[in-house]
Amino acid sequence: MDNNWLLRARNLTKIYGEAAPGVLERTGPKFDSNMDPKTGAVAAVNNISFDLYPGEVLGIVGESGSGKSTLVQLLYFDQDATAGEVHFKPFEDGAVNLFELSNQKKRFVRNHLMGMVYQNPRDGLNFRFSAGGNIAEKLLMAGVFHVGKIRIRGSDLLTHTEVPVKRMDESPARFSGGMQQRVQIAKAIANNPPLLLLDEVTSGLDVSVQAKVLDLIRSLQQDLGISMIVVSHDLGVIRMLTDRTLVLKHGQIVEHGLTDQILQDPQHGYTQLLVSSLL
Amino acid sequence: MIENLKFQDSFNYAYIDEFTKKEIRRKTLKAVCIPGYQVPYSSPEMPISRGWGTGGLHLTLSLVGPDDVLKVIDQGSDASVNACNLRLFVKEMAQCALTFDTAAATIIQSRHRVPEEILTENQILVLQVPQPEILRGVERHEAKTRMMHAEADYAKIWVTLYEAYVRNGHLRSGAGHPIMVNGRYVATPSPIPGWDVPNLSMARCLYLFGAGREKRIHCIPPFTPVKPLEFEDIRFKVEEFVGIKCQMSGQDKAFMDQIYAEDFSRYFVINDSNFLDKVRQGPRPPQKLFTNPE
Amino acid sequence: MGKLLEVVNLRKRFEMHILNEKEIHALEQVSFNVDEGEIVGLTGKTGSGKSTLMKCIHRTYLASSGQILYTNGQGQTIDLAAASEHEVIRLRRSEMTYCSQFLEVIPRVPAVDVVASGLVARGRSIEEGRSDASSCFERLSLPKELWDAYPSTFSGGEQQRVNIARAMISRPRFLLVDEPTASLDIRTKDAVIDMLIELKNTGTSIILITHDGHTLRRMADRSLHLEDGRLKEVVYA
Repeated sequence: MDNNWLLRARNLTKIYGEAAPGVLERTGPKFDSNMDPKTGAVAAVNNISFDLYPGEVLGIVGESGSGKSTLVQLLYFDQDATAGEVHFKPFEDGAVNLFELSNQKKRFVRNHLMGMVYQNPRDGLNFRFSAGGNIAEKLLMAGVFHVGKIRIRGSDLLTHTEVPVKRMDESPARFSGGMQQRVQIAKAIANNPPLLLLDEVTSGLDVSVQAKVLDLIRSLQQDLGISMIVVSHDLGVIRMLTDRTLVLKHGQIVEHGLTDQILQDPQHGYTQLLVSSLL
Repeated sequence: MIENLKFQDSFNYAYIDEFTKKEIRRKTLKAVCIPGYQVPYSSPEMPISRGWGTGGLHLTLSLVGPDDVLKVIDQGSDASVNACNLRLFVKEMAQCALTFDTAAATIIQSRHRVPEEILTENQILVLQVPQPEILRGVERHEAKTRMMHAEADYAKIWVTLYEAYVRNGHLRSGAGHPIMVNGRYVATPSPIPGWDVPNLSMARCLYLFGAGREKRIHCIPPFTPVKPLEFEDIRFKVEEFVGIKCQMSGQDKAFMDQIYAEDFSRYFVINDSNFLDKVRQGPRPPQKLFTNPE
Repeated sequence: MGKLLEVVNLRKRFEMHILNEKEIHALEQVSFNVDEGEIVGLTGKTGSGKSTLMKCIHRTYLASSGQILYTNGQGQTIDLAAASEHEVIRLRRSEMTYCSQFLEVIPRVPAVDVVASGLVARGRSIEEGRSDASSCFERLSLPKELWDAYPSTFSGGEQQRVNIARAMISRPRFLLVDEPTASLDIRTKDAVIDMLIELKNTGTSIILITHDGHTLRRMADRSLHLEDGRLKEVVYA
């Protein structure tokens, strides 16, 4: 029954510095640090395993440095994992470990099957290209070499994400933060990916803009049924968007559960601290 | 040993020492084997500064022999200062013959133009290239651009074409429109006008591209398919000289220079000086003509 | 009538790791059954554990020990205290709904869409959802000008009606309601009660928390009384 996962991650690990034996055993919440006292190596992501189901929105919370951003960057191949496996149903029915693919195939997975929205729009958008050009990049990577079709799809996406289409040919550098974020979302969903990764997408936006972006993400989830991984330190965002939540500390999962359970009946001391710190 | 040979004479035949010439020829062969791929090479010092045609000069000097007939043009003209100086330098160093006649030359070194006259299997066109990396405009880091070439990851260059189309309403970059060589590598054709790009495809001659400052050689071997990058609905277009005739020859169908007279009126003259001489004196030499798709 | 829910020796303790490992005993050895199509009332003083018990059943709280055996629409029995997260999510999407005392407002979503989303999530069209939501609002006498407004600015009673409408619109198989009539006037209170009874008549089983004797008498088939986290007496109506 539980074999209809969309994405299955097993023992994801990312070590910065020398991956000497024992680094993983000497770091983590138990030691209250992700830095190995012996070698100075940092285990940013330490043996993390989870399943994501179709249509599900999974939240990942934790304070800065808990490894939550690194985790999604591993999934999006922005960084190379030190160890671990990721299987993804839309790619060869989940039979292969994505980390073992050639760069070309990784790029295929990235461009066709995943979308990523970064905290900083500069990471997800090329400000030297226009908003439309940024969306075109994703489409071109997926082999659409027809300007007319690119323009139509681009304006559809911008309409959907409430970016004025008449500003399609402007650089996102001239857009407000919220609008840049919406262009990023438009780009991320350009090829209708089954999985969307959202890394702190609303941090740094003021509340009214934040609400618009969250609203957009929710409607995407409802209309298109995209599965999402939402990384945030903001429990409000997590509560609004996600069904299930992983709590990360020092590179490890300290607690996982249904989002309302995590927020109302946190089991781990760290989660209790997080929840009680909520404004 | 190397030192003995190297300094026997005040200078070696064709200026560059034999070992370095051998290296350049080896790299050229590699470039011939992988059409469109940029091969790094030594780029030895020349008595002209880098960026002034050293890449072309390296290639020419590594290939030239006493039996060769050399032609050097700059922007289509045999008479420009840079062309004259390079021509005299190679002759001084290699004692080869010189010519203005495109058909008579065995090696033609050129900057920014492919001659109008069809080149044959007995000819090599050496082009001086300022920036061989077509991806440099979209990616600053060499390590990344090499990776992009290796994986044929050309989305970014396509985006610049998309952007250019959105800005200008057509796909006609001034010079150096990106080309797909042999269906594998996207390369720069050197800053030649779009007019010359169709001439690169399935040609009978060998095209060599040397970038001295950037230390890269790339090549289009004879009979290699070369396609300008274009969209399914928006096609690449060469310059159109509609209703324009050369002031000096009365001919059309050639790449034209626009010239302003002293009274600010303008007129057009065929850019390729040898081609202009030929059409003025006698029958029109064979030319590969390209019409824009409609 | 089959058995819908069987709670066996349920215990709930809150361990406060950040408050010197303080422990709060919220529920002790609670056992009871709910039959299909039954309305069971939960009564007791504030702090007696009524909401805790309800949240344990909904899995908003994790039970410390004991079993919560739920028989789903396909006749399978699932222990809600131990079922996988995905299984609970599936149940919540298909047959189990919890209606708390407070509306969790979603920014920038109008009231009618908040309610309609319950149906849309179960695969109905947005138009259908909106029309059902409107008739629901009408019965609950929610002023028409509020239907398209954002509930974050509503009064307590208005928010509560939106909340009740959202919980009832999808006609869940098993409904948990916490104080559905607390801040409503008599007329609206009766409307809510009527609607809940209608739901029951179409087969919904309901657990109901209320302080209001009138509501309890009108609706509950029987009621359970909690005192200090223990089930004191089972009162049959």
